[in-house]
Amino acid sequence: MILPVQAETSHRAPAQSVKLRSVNLNEIKDLLLQNDPTFWIRLKLLTEQATEFDDLIFLSSLRKKAATRRLPRPGAADAPLKLAILGGCNLYPLHELLTHLLETAGVACELLLGDYDNYVAEIMEPYGALYEFRPQVVCLLPAAQRCKYPGALIDARDAAQAAANAVARQVLQLCRTVHERTKADVLLANFMLPSRCDLGEFRTRTLTSPWNFRKWVNLELGLSAPPFVHVLDLEFLANRKGALAAEDARGWFESKQPCSPALLVDVCHEASHLILGLRTAPKKVLALDLDNTLWGGVVADDGLEGIEIGDTSPRGEAFKAFQKYILTLKERGVLLAVCSKNDYARAIEPFEKHPEMVLRSGDFVSLKANWKPKSDNLHQMAKELQLGLDSFVFVDDNPAEIDIVRQFAPTVATILLDGDPANYVGQLQDCRWFEPHGITNEDAQRTAHYRAESERQALMASAADMDSYLESLAMKAVIRDFTPVDVPRLAQLINKSNQFNLTTHRWTETEVQALIGLPDYVCFSVRLQDRFGDHGLISIVIGRVGGDALEIDTWLMSCRVLNRQVEETVLNELVRRARVKGCSRLEGIYLPSGKNEMVRDHYPRMGFEIRTVTPERSEFLLELNSFRPRSTKITLRNESN
Amino acid sequence: MNRTDIITKLQAIFDAIFLAPPKLTPLLEAKDVPEWDSLIHISLLVAVEEAFNVRFRVGEVETTKNIGEFANLIAQRMTEK
Repeated sequence: MILPVQAETSHRAPAQSVKLRSVNLNEIKDLLLQNDPTFWIRLKLLTEQATEFDDLIFLSSLRKKAATRRLPRPGAADAPLKLAILGGCNLYPLHELLTHLLETAGVACELLLGDYDNYVAEIMEPYGALYEFRPQVVCLLPAAQRCKYPGALIDARDAAQAAANAVARQVLQLCRTVHERTKADVLLANFMLPSRCDLGEFRTRTLTSPWNFRKWVNLELGLSAPPFVHVLDLEFLANRKGALAAEDARGWFESKQPCSPALLVDVCHEASHLILGLRTAPKKVLALDLDNTLWGGVVADDGLEGIEIGDTSPRGEAFKAFQKYILTLKERGVLLAVCSKNDYARAIEPFEKHPEMVLRSGDFVSLKANWKPKSDNLHQMAKELQLGLDSFVFVDDNPAEIDIVRQFAPTVATILLDGDPANYVGQLQDCRWFEPHGITNEDAQRTAHYRAESERQALMASAADMDSYLESLAMKAVIRDFTPVDVPRLAQLINKSNQFNLTTHRWTETEVQALIGLPDYVCFSVRLQDRFGDHGLISIVIGRVGGDALEIDTWLMSCRVLNRQVEETVLNELVRRARVKGCSRLEGIYLPSGKNEMVRDHYPRMGFEIRTVTPERSEFLLELNSFRPRSTKITLRNESN
Repeated sequence: MNRTDIITKLQAIFDAIFLAPPKLTPLLEAKDVPEWDSLIHISLLVAVEEAFNVRFRVGEVETTKNIGEFANLIAQRMTEK
């Protein structure tokens, strides 16, 4: 079942492989035997640490036994995710591992398993078990055994290319079919490349070779995949593990396993990462230590000339490479910040004066260099940038600083650099917190936004009163119906807004797409610009017409534009549209999420009457006959009906 | 390592994996042990291959009927390596 011992370097794993079995499994067994609910916390922790196939299988069997024994589990259970797994291989124990990872990460699963190599029929049959099940996510592993060129090795390139394109097209067509019938997101596995020396260098010279044929199919799959398809990149995962260690001929002959147990662990981690990523936004801020993180040495001791940065030494080169990579993150839309225990003037000197530095002061939205605890600085930064601490990633080479942040700002993700600057780029590249879910233009412009925000704040301090300040901003808003081209940004904002969000109702990209043009829905977005810059798409409303009421399902706004009268603008538009739909009142609800305290009194502030208030839910009402539009300093352009 | 030694070593593996570990005897079969399902079977095989530093050949584990035959197979793979 398992291949000879090899260096394990699973991408989610700690730097060192941890073999749990001998160490501490008795403890968790005892917790279960004693019916101790802390079992679940221990299980989550061990699952996060485990890198080995058999350890995870063992933990999974413990989890199932705990469920059978009805061991009480703290925390509310959400509705389970309906997950269908289909494929051209045995889906057992793949589904065990995948559900185990999802469940310990807090996503309960209801599962439908396809039969062995029956996925084409299962997807094509419109009244079969798959469609009765109504999956929200479909994970499809097409048959690798059929991904090969059927003709002769010496056939012309055109023929092989047409065959490879056809394979990709057929697989993607299956994805489209299942998506059209269920609206499910589809995780599509691509194909592992051969590991054996067969054909020698000739494998590179013809598209008819299994090696090149599969590479072509994989390229086609990725490049042509529609947005609801998320590629489960087996080619990449197997390459990362090593092709020989990724395959398992015995496992195939004995029970049609798609790959080795070791790779199965990676495949399931990746699938779980993709599924969790459908509902969580990437992190937004990268907060960096300075000394021995961005450069070698301590600038306050070694001086500007003494620090190691740049192409004059191997260490300096490594730090420079780290800075270059950080700059690419900024270009992808990640906000950079400095969080350093330092003398401010000495700390920023390298950014201003050192010729070899890649990063400059202007690349950062916040520069904190002082003697306060770093956790305090991060709290302060979050407040100033109006972002949640859970959107921060903090990087330091000092374990004590990492520990302070873990204790006093526990929602901040942390990366402890391992001490060798040669590894720093790799550590950051493997952290998985900044993976784009489709890069939007707004992401790329974010740093500019936040810098302009500081200038706005300065203007506010000088403006005589709020009204003249708002007037001086020369704000222009555009209100627009949901459009297909806006869908990625709409879904992104819906799924990352926590603070100014009345219901925190999440909608996937697919669900947002489905709202376009529905007659009994009122859906629009607001873009805002002012004389300092373009804020982009910053507010979203989704309302449902029910009788003579317009129920506001979703009302959210980016906190960057708080107190700018966007709320009033949105309310005016809501009322206008409600009247067009023949409604006589607006109904609003507030669902406390722990993060949206800011909008608890939003509806009363907007002139709504209070209907009911409970700790879980408050309801509000606005009669339209007496409503008069609010005046604002925003010039409005309406691009909708 | 004779069959008794192998079964003693197997017992330690079973003790680690099962919540209620069975007492191993040469005639014990998987169907005699309620907790011995396919999931725990996978754990067992991986742990056994690792602990004895052997690799079973395709299809041969499923031909063993009980712990005694399984121990014989382990012994055979240990000597033939």
